[in-house]
Amino acid sequence: MIPHDILTLYSAKMLEYGIAVLFLVLFIPFWRYVQGPAAAPAAAPAKIRVPVPRAAEWFLTPADRMFHRGHAWLKGGDDGLVTVGLDDFAAKLVGPLARVSLPAIGAPVGQGEQAWRLMAADGRSVEMLSPVDGTVVALNPALAASPDLAERDPYGEGWLMRVRPSRLRANRINLMAGAAVRRWMAEAADGLRGHVAPGLGALAQDGGAPVSGMARAIDPEGWDRLAARFLLTDEEDAHA
Amino acid sequence: MSSSSAPAVSARSWASEKLFLGMSFADYLKSLATPWNFVAGLIMAVGLPLIAYRFVFGLGATTNLSQTNPWGIWIGFDLLSGVALAAGGYTLATSVYIFGLEKYHPVVRPALLTGFLGYLFAVLGLAADLGRPWNLPVPIVYSFGGPSVMFEIAWCVVLYLTVLFLEFLPPVFEWLGWPKARMWAVRMTIGLTVFGVMLSTLHQSSLGGLFLMAPTKLHPLWYSPFIPAYFFISSIAAGLSMVIVESALSHRAFQSRVDHHVDIDGIALGLARGASIVLFAYFFVKLQGIADSGRWALLATPYGYWFLVEMLGFVLLPSMLFAYGARHSHVRLVRWTAAWTVLGIVVNRMNVSVVAMNWNVPDRYVPSVTEVIVSLTLVTIGVSTFQWIVNRMPVLKAHPEYRDSESH
Repeated sequence: MIPHDILTLYSAKMLEYGIAVLFLVLFIPFWRYVQGPAAAPAAAPAKIRVPVPRAAEWFLTPADRMFHRGHAWLKGGDDGLVTVGLDDFAAKLVGPLARVSLPAIGAPVGQGEQAWRLMAADGRSVEMLSPVDGTVVALNPALAASPDLAERDPYGEGWLMRVRPSRLRANRINLMAGAAVRRWMAEAADGLRGHVAPGLGALAQDGGAPVSGMARAIDPEGWDRLAARFLLTDEEDAHA
Repeated sequence: MSSSSAPAVSARSWASEKLFLGMSFADYLKSLATPWNFVAGLIMAVGLPLIAYRFVFGLGATTNLSQTNPWGIWIGFDLLSGVALAAGGYTLATSVYIFGLEKYHPVVRPALLTGFLGYLFAVLGLAADLGRPWNLPVPIVYSFGGPSVMFEIAWCVVLYLTVLFLEFLPPVFEWLGWPKARMWAVRMTIGLTVFGVMLSTLHQSSLGGLFLMAPTKLHPLWYSPFIPAYFFISSIAAGLSMVIVESALSHRAFQSRVDHHVDIDGIALGLARGASIVLFAYFFVKLQGIADSGRWALLATPYGYWFLVEMLGFVLLPSMLFAYGARHSHVRLVRWTAAWTVLGIVVNRMNVSVVAMNWNVPDRYVPSVTEVIVSLTLVTIGVSTFQWIVNRMPVLKAHPEYRDSESH
């Protein structure tokens, strides 16, 4: 038997509990430091709060549409076909359009795969992803004459095409509706604002909606790559 | 290959395609003339005869081991460090297949391969170290010896080596072009991963448990009743660091074999976050061990200084560097820190099994030149095997036919 000195034992225990508490107390800030965003402290001063409208409110998101992460919407009809278009974010991001290059009638489209191309007046273009699997059955005839409809009225006259979906039920898993859309749109807008705090800060201050062709306003040289990054069709995806 | 009229030709083309990287045998031999292969060949030319010499003339003729110091670097380096650094296999497989962290999928296969080879060469190192290596199968087939701590170690190594082999079968079958066999191998993934993490938990810790038998021989700063937990926790950091190092080296050495669409930097930063937190926790668990033993005074002795070098330099420092590198996306820092941590794990295992072992005995062990060369030879054969497999099987890049398939 080892004779225990009760006080010595007690102080050793206190030390052990002390180390455990110290660990837990230090672990919280350490965890937050490790998980924290890169370069957050440097970016903070640039993000001084100005009274801006909530990001999600910048862009219209009608409640009767379902949205895909590539910033395309779709709306079901009674005839089993769905109407597909680009959302307000994509329209404002890319800005005035010279042409919309759509797939041919009868062509297959796949959810998350490149389906059409928005072409700007400066000759550069951005691909977009289809929100649904299926076959193209009709194209918006008005777009040929006035492609800017897709930008001015993306949810109405500017629809792009009608598709006969092949597996809409499965596709729904990757589509958003309701509150999820607003959250996602807020994230997208925050991402854009974080990208270029100065430019968009000024834009938001004068009271309202973002300018048409935000991507070009942000980066006149590489706007198409910037837009493609937000529309999930930048280089890496294109080569995959 | 299916033509039965010309089996000789088809066998030759099969060998050319699968074994000689699509070259004729003569061209293949010429392609082997690289600086690395020259160095590796030189090491093996010296090392393999020495290994043969050890098996013919015994441990006494080749090592500085003695009755007092029966464990040398073949245990401390080849076995203990090799097994700890092979922990990337279970760590990554669990992260991806059990926790669903798909981001790390591209490094699972190299991690499993590193794990398999790490274990395989640890066992080969053990075979060299054991006085009677032919008795290795005894605890498996003849006399279990249940009360011995070696019983658990023997069984876990045998089972886990088998599990790692089975886990690595999908790329082997993809290479051989056996889709049905591959399908079955892929179906076993979850079961094998669960079994693998159980076995690893048991036996990473039981390697530490070995030292519970030597409380008077191991220096009190390293000896602790918690030593099985130390070995297990540090193996996670070792595995994560090894995957960071190994993926960085692979992407440099096998340019044509890697998938350039994989965000290897992002993966390294994510693994660094994990390693940072594990090392941070490990540091405090070790501190708890000192508090438990109450041997604070020993820190002010030469062994204590060395202990502090290990704890501060190889545990706390890399934890902080990983944290800083991960937060600021500093990939180079993360990779160097990972290499430093790998070294730190070797230092820890060597400390426990060699440096702080028999610290109070006048007869100190220093490894013989033969021991060092044999260890070096085993590592070289391991790396060459890794190279041979990566050059043939879809390890660093998905097989084109199975790129879009479900798991694996």
